[in-house]
Amino acid sequence: MRSPSDRSRLPLVLEAWNRRLHYYLGLYFLLFLWLFSLTGLLLNHPRWALSRIPNDPGPSYEQTIEPPVGDSAIARAHDVMRRLGLSGEVEWPSQQTPGRFDFNIAIPRRATQVRVDLATGRATVQHIDRSAWSALRISHAFSGSRYNNPSSSRDWLLTTVWVIAMDALALGLLVMVAGSYYMWYRLKPRRTLGWIVLAAGLTSCGLFAFGLVR
Amino acid sequence: MNAERALYRWTRDLHLYLGLFVSPFAIAFTVSVFFLNHAKVDTASATAVETVSDLNVPPGLDSARGRDAVERARIIVDQVRVSGEIGFVRYIRQEQRFVIPVSRPGIETVVDVDVPGRTATVSRRATGPLESLAYLHKSPGPHNADLRGNWFWTRVWRYLADGTVYVLLFVSATGLYLWYAIRAERRIGLVLLGAGAATFFGLLYAIAL
Repeated sequence: MRSPSDRSRLPLVLEAWNRRLHYYLGLYFLLFLWLFSLTGLLLNHPRWALSRIPNDPGPSYEQTIEPPVGDSAIARAHDVMRRLGLSGEVEWPSQQTPGRFDFNIAIPRRATQVRVDLATGRATVQHIDRSAWSALRISHAFSGSRYNNPSSSRDWLLTTVWVIAMDALALGLLVMVAGSYYMWYRLKPRRTLGWIVLAAGLTSCGLFAFGLVR
Repeated sequence: MNAERALYRWTRDLHLYLGLFVSPFAIAFTVSVFFLNHAKVDTASATAVETVSDLNVPPGLDSARGRDAVERARIIVDQVRVSGEIGFVRYIRQEQRFVIPVSRPGIETVVDVDVPGRTATVSRRATGPLESLAYLHKSPGPHNADLRGNWFWTRVWRYLADGTVYVLLFVSATGLYLWYAIRAERRIGLVLLGAGAATFFGLLYAIAL
């Protein structure tokens, strides 16, 4: 059973842990935050030399494969990938030509086009290799899913792991922000100026998030 | 010693106040991550469709390219009382139609112009608060760089989004300094920094390098 002195110390202990949590999370996620901040900047400035993504296809090659098997398009694509020794996130071209089975494979460091002629069993594969720097930029938005394309879904394990990392960073930042509000509010001499700058941030961000909606 | 103490105080105050200012932007960017990663939206369902007639279609729009096409398309978009960032201008020559998507937080509009009939079908789709945040998260973005920022508020948002990055980098760098000043927390901090770096480089190696 807790004594009254233990109970009176509880807020202090929570406060100390809130502060620790703030910088522990910040230290753990530091490199993730820097990656997403810098690549976000590159995404908003596509004309910068650092933002360019090489898009030159390498030479294509052909391979004879067995007809793809599977009860869905994605299962057949995975079957073809297994035969060709490829892995990554499957993306579909806007149209399928009759007699062919075409799809693309995306990973941050490489884009691959796979074109299968079902009549001859010939698969044509073409890679577009990215630089490591470009791959970092691509990883910013590499989630395997587009909210405005309900048919898109993640089908590569590593994409799922990466999405978990992105979600964890987002959650960690939210916890850090919430904790920082508490720490600031406990500093009475800094409340007034704190309210002013917080109100300025809320107003400018709120204008875009809610004020332009009509 | 006094200079060191003054530096510490200034750093602490800047970390606090700049962090408070940028915090609503950080919340907007982080909350929209969950939407971008997990949500599914049927963008084909318009919530309102309206037809506007007697349009003044600016001459030369069919042959205009890039920013010029957007500026001419803006004349039509203004006539149908739509405002926002014009995504692109597509001319379907066989049907003599223009398709002009226009976006802003809270609403996505497609203006479909029938040139011979001088009419436009305006399809609006209201987006929820989370989709609005996701739109801002991706704005202005890397696509159609020549056209981006054709709406005043997109240009303002670009500065704010860039500013958010710079302030977050500053706040994280000052956070490092403030942590390092606490001797008792250095060891565990270094362990966490190392664990984060190991996770970071391990994941990057697996997916990107």
